[in-house]
Amino acid sequence: MKTPSAHSFLDRRNFLRGAGVSLALPFLDSIVRTVGASPVKPPVRLGFMYMPHGVIMDQFWPKSPESFLDTPPPALEALRPVLDQCLMMKGISGVPISPFNGAPHALELSTWLTARLPDSETRSRVNIAISADQVMANYVGAQTLLPSLELATMPQTHKENQEGLHEAYYSHCSYRSPTQPVPAEIDPRNVLNRLFGKRGKDARVTKASPLDRQMLDHVIGGAKDLRKTLASDDQQKLDEYLDSVRSVERRIAAIESRQAEASLEKAGVSTKKRHAADSPPIEIKIPEGDKRSEYMQVMCDLNILAFQTDTTRVSTYIGSTPNGVSYPELGFTDTHHSTTHHNNGEEKVGKVAAITKFNIDQYAYMVKKMASLREGDGTLLDNCIMMWGSGLEDGNRHSRENLPFILAGKGGGSLHTGRFLADTKGNQGDLLSTLLSCAGVPLDRPVGIATKEIEEMKA
Amino acid sequence: MHRSCHSPFFSKTALVLGLFVGSLVELPCLAETKEEASDEAALRADARKTFKEDVAPFVENYCIRCHGPRPKGGVNLKSALKSPGSASSFLHWKKAVANVKVHDMPPEEDVSKIPTDEERRQFAEWIDKLKYLAPRDPGPFVIRRLSKVEYGNTLQDLYGVDPGIVGVLPDEVVGEGFLNSISPLQSELYLEIANRVVEEVLAAKGEDPAAVQKRLFGETPSDGADLREEARRVAQSLARDAFRRPPSDSELDVLVGVFDLARENQLDYTASLTLMWKAVLVSPQFLFITPAEEVDSDESIVRLDDYQLASRLSYLLWSAPPDDELIALAEKGDLRKTEVLRSQVERLLAHPRSRALFDSFGAQWWRVNGLEQQVFDPDLFPEVTPDLRKAMMDEARLFFGSVVRENESVVRFVDSDYTFVNEPLAELYGLEQTIQGKEMRRVELANPNRGGILGMPVTLASTSFPGRTSPVRRGVWVLEQVLGERVPPPPPDVPELEELKGEDLEGLTLRQLTELHQSEATCANCHQVLDPIGFGLENFDAIGRWRDRDSAGVAIDSKGKLPSGKGFATPAELKGLLADRESDLARNLTERLMAHALGRQLEGYDEIVIDRLMRRIAEDDFRVRTIITEVITSYLFTHRKIEG
Repeated sequence: MKTPSAHSFLDRRNFLRGAGVSLALPFLDSIVRTVGASPVKPPVRLGFMYMPHGVIMDQFWPKSPESFLDTPPPALEALRPVLDQCLMMKGISGVPISPFNGAPHALELSTWLTARLPDSETRSRVNIAISADQVMANYVGAQTLLPSLELATMPQTHKENQEGLHEAYYSHCSYRSPTQPVPAEIDPRNVLNRLFGKRGKDARVTKASPLDRQMLDHVIGGAKDLRKTLASDDQQKLDEYLDSVRSVERRIAAIESRQAEASLEKAGVSTKKRHAADSPPIEIKIPEGDKRSEYMQVMCDLNILAFQTDTTRVSTYIGSTPNGVSYPELGFTDTHHSTTHHNNGEEKVGKVAAITKFNIDQYAYMVKKMASLREGDGTLLDNCIMMWGSGLEDGNRHSRENLPFILAGKGGGSLHTGRFLADTKGNQGDLLSTLLSCAGVPLDRPVGIATKEIEEMKA
Repeated sequence: MHRSCHSPFFSKTALVLGLFVGSLVELPCLAETKEEASDEAALRADARKTFKEDVAPFVENYCIRCHGPRPKGGVNLKSALKSPGSASSFLHWKKAVANVKVHDMPPEEDVSKIPTDEERRQFAEWIDKLKYLAPRDPGPFVIRRLSKVEYGNTLQDLYGVDPGIVGVLPDEVVGEGFLNSISPLQSELYLEIANRVVEEVLAAKGEDPAAVQKRLFGETPSDGADLREEARRVAQSLARDAFRRPPSDSELDVLVGVFDLARENQLDYTASLTLMWKAVLVSPQFLFITPAEEVDSDESIVRLDDYQLASRLSYLLWSAPPDDELIALAEKGDLRKTEVLRSQVERLLAHPRSRALFDSFGAQWWRVNGLEQQVFDPDLFPEVTPDLRKAMMDEARLFFGSVVRENESVVRFVDSDYTFVNEPLAELYGLEQTIQGKEMRRVELANPNRGGILGMPVTLASTSFPGRTSPVRRGVWVLEQVLGERVPPPPPDVPELEELKGEDLEGLTLRQLTELHQSEATCANCHQVLDPIGFGLENFDAIGRWRDRDSAGVAIDSKGKLPSGKGFATPAELKGLLADRESDLARNLTERLMAHALGRQLEGYDEIVIDRLMRRIAEDDFRVRTIITEVITSYLFTHRKIEG
């Protein structure tokens, strides 16, 4: 696992030192919801978790709707305790990738949440579409400390140019705008520090003062003159940076109001109290070794904590990018990609099945934990929709007629779970549109190639 | 991994033609002789003539019925006819030519509408002339954020802090395809790092300021001095260093505005300067390389101003901000002079800081920058330790540096008689008897199979799977990274080998297995080229050790031949054949370095410029420093397009 370089956060590192140090977060007890009256109906949160290269179909798809709950397919074994809170559907097709036939792996991830192909006329630049998670972030992001959370376990620096497409397509699923991929954070320490840095002398985040906010205002204002000297492409780059500066401003403001709220609550005058029976925020243990399962699980925990504390309401988690991670924990070192071209050979099929199960196990770890946390009148999972999936069905053939995915959580009562819908008619865009609708996001236009919402998913 | 190809041709280089068809702006151009200019004019005229007389009629006759306003198969030749030299048209031309070449198009429904073979050939050949329809255009200078490494180096140079202070930023890759974006989670890091820099550099209350602080903030003003005036002077010097150019009056006004803000909030003089300094550190002018002044908007193509040129040069070769000498030359307006620029390239390359060029460019070129994360089967290769990985990378860095420093021919990269090793690495070379200790040192190599990047552990390992070599990957690597050819990806729905043969593949050697590609037409076109090259390197195992037998005990057969038909029987002979192609080697390096320096893919007009550079590079025996200098003094590097 990567560690922050020597001079960053020395103080914080001391704090975290030691194998599996359990990090209590007492200050989170005072965290309050930022909107609504007391106690509010919890908001719906939406999370996406990705695995590349598809699945072994007969180990993944349930035999029949009737057998789904009692005899789930082998890949889903770990989900058995929460299957009644899951929804599976077969028949959701991916975006057809012509004319980019030589780029199955650049497109499996980049089309996953955009449900659209890159623009073929400007393929050497990033030009695709806003992704579903960012559509949601635009709608609900202002109500939380962080508009959205992007996690991954591999650096997004892979250089592979398929069909002349920009390299970023290979390792990004989240797009703030058609031209702006959102990078993901891969270091759990950084996520912890960013999101939940403890208060006091060491905490950079909370130290940012109102004066910093006004200083940033001046910087943004001053950039107007610079803007005039630039060509339009350059202006766009500048605007992207200024947008990010603005988000820092907003974050400082959010921290201020959160602190004000906390002190009000302490004084007993807050009207936005947490539900008394809610579970306390979970603890985060940063693993010391380099076991992939532990690494993936701590990122799951951070995702849970971010949702539980309403730090953000939408997340993406790229379990791995398509450029060949391997799983020594499973007893072999073949890279994921090379095993998926298995030619139906028994040994490699077995390895792909093991890798798939491994990934679903981590997802199961996350959703089972969410199901164990009380929130409002139910559990955290009740108020979330957690989707796990891949952008290919059969990695051996790069096919994507039936995208493999699992939904967990009732979405605040919007999703009808405990079912396997064996013959759904719809595409990737329809699915994403329906998920956004279930999360309460009104759509002014369909997501990607969507033509409809899939009503049979809904409760 | 099954790579095969759908066209029987390798397209030579991955240049994408095009850009905007607009007015052809003729500008006096750096380093272009009259002769070159008139050659170019003649070629442009010829390309227009061919287009009008051959290409347009061909398209009208055979293609436009289906590929007109409602184009089939996504190939729109109506728009391509209208603006043949544009970037978007190029993609359509490329597809059209590929299909016509292999007789896929036009469809044979109507025999009277089928072109002759001669017509097909002419249409296909024309694509090489397409670049002469692209207007002269250096491309925009898209402002870009400093990369993580550049940002760390810049903070170190200006304020003496450890460059590791930027460690919280995500890793990123510079050059072609560099991304400017940052996520919401990361967006506050710049403010946070600014806070940290300020904290490290400035003395705590009551302590004496260190030298850096004195340099930045000057002496404490005497009682009664005009503090705003003093602050403006400090702002001038802070901004000049940080923006790498003199700040404009309005930029100074903004900074003094921040000083005023602090004063209004009852901060003392030093604390107010601190807030102002923080404003400098989070300004886009600091984090991005920006032009010094607004340019006359009547012109659509301008030279980079000298300050911008200084930054572009210095970040390319050093990954660091321009030093005093470069800034002084920019101030005098001298840097734009070709001779001055040349001598500065020499000076920067001679400095140890130029090792940054390997880390930012060389490692990407050789595709070895993933070594740190690469997985090796621990049972098969227990010797792969962090020390060995580091030594492998150091070898490549030192070797790259020595070829540049000694200004050798580009051929030296593939064929040399020396390298750099330490004890762990020497074991891979079988030299452990003579090399002791961790220190890397230069050694002469007696074995002709070694020396150069083809026989170097880091590249051999980077092209391998965790447990075995991949001749296919190595073949692709040689063609793409070394020779600059472009290997198309396998076509969709390519049948798998087993289905093709319907035979049990157990018991075949890797070579026999891989050669099955060649018995199937859809695979053979590419694999008959790729695989033999890869097998030429089979004597090197997955971490670059020599072997005579593979893991199953079968003797290695490393015989093969290049597409040209020339055969080889050992890695040394393969090296020799590649070394003969010095012009291809040089063009590959030139194109890759240019794309890296410009931060974009090369397109239409760029190819004409590269053609011109190649003539001069050949005259100087393909020397590497000459290549670097030609790229930096080129029209493309020193100019930018403003608005189309």
